[in-house]
Amino acid sequence: MAVPMEYYLLLSAAVFCIGVFGVLTRRNALLFLMSVELMLNAANINLVAFSWHHGNLTGQLFSLFTMALAAAEVAVGIGIVLVLYRNFEDVDVTKATTMEW
Amino acid sequence: MTTSPELYRGSKAAGLAAVALFAVLAAVFVGAGFSGGAGFPADVSITASIGYLLFDFPSYASVGGEGFLAAFEIIDVVLVAALVGAVMLARREGGDPLSVEGGEE
Repeated sequence: MAVPMEYYLLLSAAVFCIGVFGVLTRRNALLFLMSVELMLNAANINLVAFSWHHGNLTGQLFSLFTMALAAAEVAVGIGIVLVLYRNFEDVDVTKATTMEW
Repeated sequence: MTTSPELYRGSKAAGLAAVALFAVLAAVFVGAGFSGGAGFPADVSITASIGYLLFDFPSYASVGGEGFLAAFEIIDVVLVAALVGAVMLARREGGDPLSVEGGEE
Protein backbone atom coordinates (compact mmCIF):
# COMPACT_ATOMS: atom_id res chain seq x y z
CA MET A 1 0.00 0.00 0.00
CA ALA A 2 2.67 2.46 0.96
CA VAL A 3 4.60 3.89 -1.97
CA PRO A 4 8.34 3.28 -1.59
CA MET A 5 10.53 6.29 -0.94
CA GLU A 6 12.43 5.87 -4.21
CA TYR A 7 9.36 6.77 -6.25
CA TYR A 8 8.88 10.06 -4.44
CA LEU A 9 12.54 10.88 -4.84
CA LEU A 10 12.51 10.00 -8.54
CA LEU A 11 9.44 12.17 -9.10
CA SER A 12 11.13 15.01 -7.25
CA ALA A 13 14.34 14.59 -9.27
CA ALA A 14 12.34 14.62 -12.50
CA VAL A 15 10.48 17.79 -11.56
CA PHE A 16 13.72 19.45 -10.47
CA CYS A 17 15.47 18.53 -13.72
CA ILE A 18 12.57 19.90 -15.75
CA GLY A 19 12.97 23.13 -13.79
CA VAL A 20 16.72 23.19 -14.44
CA PHE A 21 16.07 22.63 -18.14
CA GLY A 22 13.60 25.50 -18.16
CA VAL A 23 16.00 27.87 -16.45
CA LEU A 24 18.77 26.91 -18.87
CA THR A 25 16.77 27.27 -22.09
CA ARG A 26 13.87 29.69 -21.66
CA ARG A 27 14.29 33.39 -22.37
CA ASN A 28 10.85 34.58 -21.31
CA ALA A 29 11.05 35.93 -17.78
CA LEU A 30 7.66 34.51 -16.85
CA LEU A 31 8.74 31.02 -17.89
CA PHE A 32 11.84 31.56 -15.79
CA LEU A 33 9.62 32.14 -12.77
CA MET A 34 7.64 29.00 -13.56
CA SER A 35 10.83 26.94 -13.80
CA VAL A 36 12.05 28.24 -10.45
CA GLU A 37 8.67 27.24 -9.01
CA LEU A 38 9.14 23.74 -10.38
CA MET A 39 12.49 23.43 -8.61
CA LEU A 40 11.06 24.71 -5.33
CA ASN A 41 8.17 22.27 -5.53
CA ALA A 42 10.55 19.40 -6.17
CA ALA A 43 12.11 20.26 -2.82
CA ASN A 44 8.62 20.28 -1.30
CA ILE A 45 7.95 16.75 -2.56
CA ASN A 46 11.14 15.60 -0.87
CA LEU A 47 10.24 17.32 2.39
CA VAL A 48 6.79 15.74 2.56
CA ALA A 49 8.08 12.32 1.53
CA PHE A 50 10.76 12.31 4.21
CA SER A 51 8.25 13.62 6.73
CA TRP A 52 6.24 10.46 6.10
CA HIS A 53 9.38 8.32 6.09
CA HIS A 54 10.38 9.50 9.56
CA GLY A 55 6.86 9.74 10.97
CA ASN A 56 7.54 13.35 11.96
CA LEU A 57 5.58 16.41 10.88
CA THR A 58 8.53 18.82 10.79
CA GLY A 59 9.05 18.18 7.09
CA GLN A 60 5.47 19.10 6.22
CA LEU A 61 5.78 22.32 8.22
CA PHE A 62 8.98 23.12 6.38
CA SER A 63 7.21 22.60 3.06
CA LEU A 64 4.51 25.07 4.16
CA PHE A 65 7.20 27.66 4.86
CA THR A 66 8.79 26.93 1.49
CA MET A 67 5.46 27.61 -0.20
CA ALA A 68 5.16 30.93 1.60
CA LEU A 69 8.67 31.90 0.55
CA ALA A 70 7.86 30.84 -3.03
CA ALA A 71 4.83 33.14 -2.96
CA ALA A 72 6.98 36.02 -1.76
CA GLU A 73 9.54 35.27 -4.45
CA VAL A 74 6.90 35.24 -7.17
CA ALA A 75 5.44 38.52 -5.94
CA VAL A 76 8.82 40.22 -6.24
CA GLY A 77 9.55 38.40 -9.50
CA ILE A 78 6.32 39.57 -11.11
CA GLY A 79 7.12 43.12 -10.04
CA ILE A 80 10.54 42.84 -11.64
CA VAL A 81 9.01 41.42 -14.84
CA LEU A 82 6.63 44.40 -14.95
CA VAL A 83 9.51 46.85 -14.66
CA LEU A 84 11.46 44.85 -17.25
CA TYR A 85 8.59 45.09 -19.72
CA ARG A 86 8.09 48.78 -19.02
CA ASN A 87 11.73 49.57 -19.69
CA PHE A 88 12.54 47.21 -22.54
CA GLU A 89 9.12 46.59 -24.13
CA ASP A 90 9.95 42.91 -23.81
CA VAL A 91 10.19 40.19 -21.22
CA ASP A 92 13.14 38.49 -22.89
CA VAL A 93 15.77 38.21 -20.18
CA THR A 94 18.64 38.25 -22.69
CA LYS A 95 17.65 41.67 -24.00
CA ALA A 96 17.93 43.39 -20.64
CA THR A 97 21.70 43.74 -20.69
CA THR A 98 21.92 47.30 -19.41
CA MET A 99 21.19 48.61 -15.94
CA GLU A 100 21.22 52.28 -16.84
CA TRP A 101 17.76 53.38 -15.76
CA MET B 1 6.65 42.19 -28.65
CA THR B 2 6.46 39.65 -25.96
CA THR B 3 7.71 36.29 -27.04
CA SER B 4 4.92 33.85 -27.69
CA PRO B 5 5.25 30.33 -26.32
CA GLU B 6 7.35 28.09 -28.48
CA LEU B 7 7.85 24.38 -28.19
CA TYR B 8 11.60 24.43 -28.01
CA ARG B 9 14.21 27.10 -28.14
CA GLY B 10 17.48 26.21 -26.54
CA SER B 11 20.62 24.24 -26.91
CA LYS B 12 20.92 20.50 -26.98
CA ALA B 13 23.60 20.84 -24.30
CA ALA B 14 21.09 22.19 -21.79
CA GLY B 15 18.76 19.28 -22.36
CA LEU B 16 21.62 16.83 -22.07
CA ALA B 17 22.75 18.49 -18.84
CA ALA B 18 19.28 18.19 -17.35
CA VAL B 19 18.94 14.54 -18.37
CA ALA B 20 22.42 13.77 -17.04
CA LEU B 21 21.54 15.41 -13.73
CA PHE B 22 18.40 13.29 -13.56
CA ALA B 23 20.42 10.16 -14.30
CA VAL B 24 22.89 10.90 -11.50
CA LEU B 25 20.11 11.70 -9.03
CA ALA B 26 18.13 8.61 -9.99
CA ALA B 27 21.17 6.37 -9.63
CA VAL B 28 21.83 7.76 -6.15
CA PHE B 29 18.19 7.43 -5.06
CA VAL B 30 17.71 3.91 -6.35
CA GLY B 31 21.02 2.79 -4.86
CA ALA B 32 20.39 4.37 -1.47
CA GLY B 33 18.33 1.44 -0.23
CA PHE B 34 15.59 3.00 1.88
CA SER B 35 13.90 0.67 4.31
CA GLY B 36 10.17 0.89 4.96
CA GLY B 37 9.09 4.26 6.28
CA ALA B 38 7.72 4.93 9.73
CA GLY B 39 4.54 6.47 8.35
CA PHE B 40 1.80 8.16 10.34
CA PRO B 41 -0.84 6.51 12.52
CA ALA B 42 -4.06 5.96 10.64
CA ASP B 43 -6.45 7.26 13.30
CA VAL B 44 -5.02 10.72 14.01
CA SER B 45 -5.57 14.01 12.21
CA ILE B 46 -2.40 15.12 10.46
CA THR B 47 -3.88 18.52 9.66
CA ALA B 48 -4.79 19.22 13.29
CA SER B 49 -1.30 18.23 14.35
CA ILE B 50 0.22 20.58 11.79
CA GLY B 51 -1.95 23.37 13.17
CA TYR B 52 -0.87 22.69 16.75
CA LEU B 53 2.80 22.56 15.76
CA LEU B 54 2.49 25.76 13.76
CA PHE B 55 1.31 27.56 16.90
CA ASP B 56 3.90 25.97 19.18
CA PHE B 57 1.74 23.43 21.00
CA PRO B 58 3.72 20.22 20.41
CA SER B 59 2.10 18.54 23.41
CA TYR B 60 -1.35 18.71 21.76
CA ALA B 61 -0.13 17.30 18.46
CA SER B 62 -0.75 13.57 18.04
CA VAL B 63 2.17 13.19 15.63
CA GLY B 64 5.71 14.15 16.55
CA GLY B 65 7.26 17.40 15.46
CA GLU B 66 8.64 20.71 16.64
CA GLY B 67 6.93 24.02 17.27
CA PHE B 68 7.41 26.63 14.57
CA LEU B 69 5.71 29.74 15.92
CA ALA B 70 8.76 31.99 15.47
CA ALA B 71 9.27 30.86 11.87
CA PHE B 72 5.56 31.37 11.22
CA GLU B 73 5.70 34.98 12.39
CA ILE B 74 8.92 35.69 10.50
CA ILE B 75 7.41 34.29 7.29
CA ASP B 76 4.47 36.63 7.87
CA VAL B 77 6.81 39.62 7.96
CA VAL B 78 8.68 38.37 4.88
CA LEU B 79 5.44 37.98 2.91
CA VAL B 80 4.27 41.49 3.79
CA ALA B 81 7.66 42.90 2.87
CA ALA B 82 7.63 41.06 -0.46
CA LEU B 83 4.13 42.26 -1.32
CA VAL B 84 5.01 45.86 -0.44
CA GLY B 85 8.18 45.52 -2.50
CA ALA B 86 6.20 44.17 -5.45
CA VAL B 87 3.74 47.06 -5.28
CA MET B 88 6.62 49.52 -5.02
CA LEU B 89 8.29 47.99 -8.07
CA ALA B 90 5.12 47.85 -10.14
CA ARG B 91 3.96 51.40 -9.40
CA ARG B 92 4.58 53.94 -12.10
CA GLU B 93 7.05 56.58 -11.03
CA GLY B 94 5.67 60.07 -11.07
CA GLY B 95 2.11 59.89 -12.36
CA ASP B 96 -1.14 59.48 -10.52
CA PRO B 97 -1.35 55.88 -9.36
CA LEU B 98 -5.09 55.87 -9.90
CA SER B 99 -5.04 57.08 -13.49
CA VAL B 100 -6.32 54.48 -15.91
CA GLU B 101 -5.30 55.88 -19.30
CA GLY B 102 -2.20 53.72 -19.22
CA GLY B 103 0.53 53.94 -21.81
CA GLU B 104 4.22 54.35 -21.23
CA GLU B 105 5.36 57.40 -19.38
